[in-house]
Parts: sequence; C-alpha cells; structure tokens
Amino acid sequence: MAARPDSEDIAMDDAPTSHQPEVKDDTMVDDAGEDVEEEEDYEEEEEEEEEEVQRVKLLPGSTETAASFEFSNEGHTLGNALRYVIMRNPEVEFCAYAIPHPSEAKMNVRIQTFEGTTAIEALEKGLRDIQELCDVVTDKFVAAADDFEKKKAAAA
Amino acid sequence: MDYDPMAMDDAESLGPVVKISQADSVRVKFELQNADISFANSLRRVMLAEIPTIAIDLVEIESNSSVLADEFIAHRLGLIPLNAEGVEHLLYSRDCDCEEYCENCSVKLTLHAKCTGYENMSVSARDLVPIGERINQSLGTPVINDKDGTGPLILKLRPEQEIKLECIAKKGIAKEHAKWAPSAAIGFEYDPHNKLRHLDLWYEKDPKSEWPPSEYAKWEEPPVEGEPFDFDAVPNHFYYNVETAGNLPPDGIVTEGIKVIQQKLAGLIHELTEGEGEGGYDGPRSPDYNSGPDTGYGYSTSYGGNGGNQSAWGGGGGTTPFGGQTSYGGGGWS
Repeated sequence: MAARPDSEDIAMDDAPTSHQPEVKDDTMVDDAGEDVEEEEDYEEEEEEEEEEVQRVKLLPGSTETAASFEFSNEGHTLGNALRYVIMRNPEVEFCAYAIPHPSEAKMNVRIQTFEGTTAIEALEKGLRDIQELCDVVTDKFVAAADDFEKKKAAAA
Repeated sequence: MDYDPMAMDDAESLGPVVKISQADSVRVKFELQNADISFANSLRRVMLAEIPTIAIDLVEIESNSSVLADEFIAHRLGLIPLNAEGVEHLLYSRDCDCEEYCENCSVKLTLHAKCTGYENMSVSARDLVPIGERINQSLGTPVINDKDGTGPLILKLRPEQEIKLECIAKKGIAKEHAKWAPSAAIGFEYDPHNKLRHLDLWYEKDPKSEWPPSEYAKWEEPPVEGEPFDFDAVPNHFYYNVETAGNLPPDGIVTEGIKVIQQKLAGLIHELTEGEGEGGYDGPRSPDYNSGPDTGYGYSTSYGGNGGNQSAWGGGGGTTPFGGQTSYGGGGWS
C-alpha cells in the first residue's frame, strides 16, 4: 500500500521535544532578562549556564487565582505531599498534580483559590507548611531516637 | 491565609508522633503517626532515591590479567558501599570548578593485587586503599561489616594473575544510579489488618488463615466481626523499617531524608519569592494567553472534566469565571 501523500504525521526532526508548547518570550519577560544577566556573569562557563534553569514555571493560561505550575525534576515525592498540604488550606478551592509523561522529568500542579489569596501565595504556603512538618518530624524522630538509646542503656 | 495546618479536625491535629521499636547499627524500625500518607510516602521515596552518598564512578584500569572483563570489574566496584560520613561537605563533580575531578569533589582509591602463591586469591573491598587528600578520614573508605573483615568480594585471581587500577569515587544520588542508594531496603507498611481494603488479598479458601499476620498486626486493634466499613477512615500509622547498606547510619538515613525534602522545598521557596520580588509571575502578560488560538492545545484535558479547554478556567482573564463547583468538571466529581 502506498504511503498517504498527505500524511498528518510530523517528521521526527520537526516534532517538539515536549508536548507542552514552548513558552513564548513574552510570558517570562523578567526571566528572559535574568538569563541575559547570567550570561554576562558566566561568559566563560557556558556549559554550566544550562544548569541554571528555572525549576518552577507558570504555565500559560494562568490567572491570579487559578494557575498551573510546571516543576522540572520533581515527581510524586514532592507532588503528592504538596497537593495534599495545599488542599488543606481552606482558601484553596482546588489543587491537583500530574506527571504528564513518565519519561519527562516534569510535574504539573494546578491550584485554584478563592478570592482572598492567589495561587502563587497558596503554593508558597504549601511549601512552607511541608517544611514546618519536616521540622516537627525531625524533632520527634531525634527525640524518639535519644529516648530509645537511653532506655537501652538503662536496660543494659 | 491564616490557619494552622495542625489545628484541623482530624487526627493530624494532634501533630505527628514518632515511635522507635528497634534500632541498631544496621536498621531502625519506627512508626510515624498522625501524618498523611502523602508525606509518609514522600519520606519513603526520598530515603530510597535522593540522599547523597559516595560511590565509585570512574575506574582507570592499568592492568587486568584476571578472567573478568574490565567493565565487569568496574561495575562491581561501583556497587561497593563506601562510608559516606561527611559527604555533605563534598561537592558534586558537576558543580566543582575542577576539570574532571579533584579532592573537593571526589575520593581516589587504588587496588593493586597479584596472586603470587600457588592457590587462587580473593580480592575484596578491604584491598581498596583510599589515597590522597580527603575531607575526613572515613569518607570513601569501603564499608566492612562482615566477621572476616574482608568486605565484599570483588574478584578472584589465579596464580600469576594481577589487577591494578585506580578508582574515583564521586558524590551522587540513587535516582541517577542505584549504587548511590544509602538504604539496603526500606520496609513501609500501614493498616496491617487491611481494614481500609487497600489490598485485595488473593486466597484459595480463606485469606485470614492463608496470609500470615504482619508483625505490626498486634500494634493495632483487630477488626471486629461484622463491623461496617468505615468510609471516612484514612491510614494514620505508618511502619518503616530502614536498613542501611553501611554507608550511613540507619537513623542518619531518616534525618538526611527529611533534610533532602527540606532542601528541595527551600530551593523552590527561594525561587518563588525571588521571582515575586522582581515582579516575576505577577508581571503583565500578553492578553492572548487566555484567548489566543495557539493556546488551545489539549493540555488541560488531563484534568478530566468536560471543559477540555482552558477557557473553562481561565477564560475570564482576571475575573473569576468559576463561581461555584459547576464551572469545572461537573461530570467528574460528585
């Protein structure tokens, strides 16, 4: 069977590397400026420059109270805990996370808030809440470990 | 934004509780209470894959007349646990200023053995000798815990065979390669009586008699016969069993794990607040981000819902288009 001449398939060379549309320059006006500054700083070390990428990006279509974020190099480890803790915030109407494709190290978080706060604030608060929880768990664990050692020493 | 995450109506209001049931040089068994499963799982995942340790990453083989191929030996060397005490002061090689590696981002070990006797000779981790400058005297030393004091066997040599090589151990995490895993295994379980029905136990006649009870079964109330299913129940007690490979102490793995989560969070918070200061995310945006035809890609459909298009959420461009629950995914949730 002859190949369809008007095939809709995209040639591999033309296919985008990500199914997410490439971010246009004007979304991240400030960040583009940042990159330029960095380039000046690291003129000699161009290899390292690539690693200084943004780890959180605001996806297009986001508004103040309803935003989608894209995290690079994060997965379920952060995603699920973050989703849970943000959802606990009573000012948040909706929060969910997704890993759009398993072979891309990207994690998306959608946050929709009520009027009182913004999605970015809710995200930041979520991050700080997990940090606080981590502090508490560390303290409790260290205390429990000390306690265990003491009891062991007393029994011996 | 003013609420106390700990002062809610469920068990979490009590705050997390940690109980240690067993701890020695190889393992720590503990119970985490009043935390959500999402956090408990984050801790488990981070201890498995994201704690930095040190492992052999480069091997320069000078001579190898053993029966094993160079790359085979190199792989075996990579898997040998090395003491990771003080690894936090070691740089990642990719972040270091040096060309390839230096004492700030690596530890050098040598191995030189020749079988001069008449019997086959074993070469083990004990024969790996750290050389050069080190951050401290234990970082990068092979872990030797067996009673013979030899450590893991690397290879065997017949009479007259010789192996001579130099290894470069670097810092890394298990997400990149399992050789950097600090834990030999992490046991994680909850709900030993399967009250929540998260497990569907296979059985021939009776799951109760065919499945042995978990060691944690006696820690929790057994289900009462004929008890109705509790639809609101959530897992609340998590049992960990963290077993070390020898590179970090078991309790160190737990505390390091939490530290890794916190560093992750701190990095993100830093990036977020920095962006805000410069007007980053709140800056003006081209209006066609909400209505332009090129934004009509099917990304947002992954959230289910019958909206299927971004306009279902963000179309209003600033005003809140979602007054009630109905504006998104009415079909998806009840």
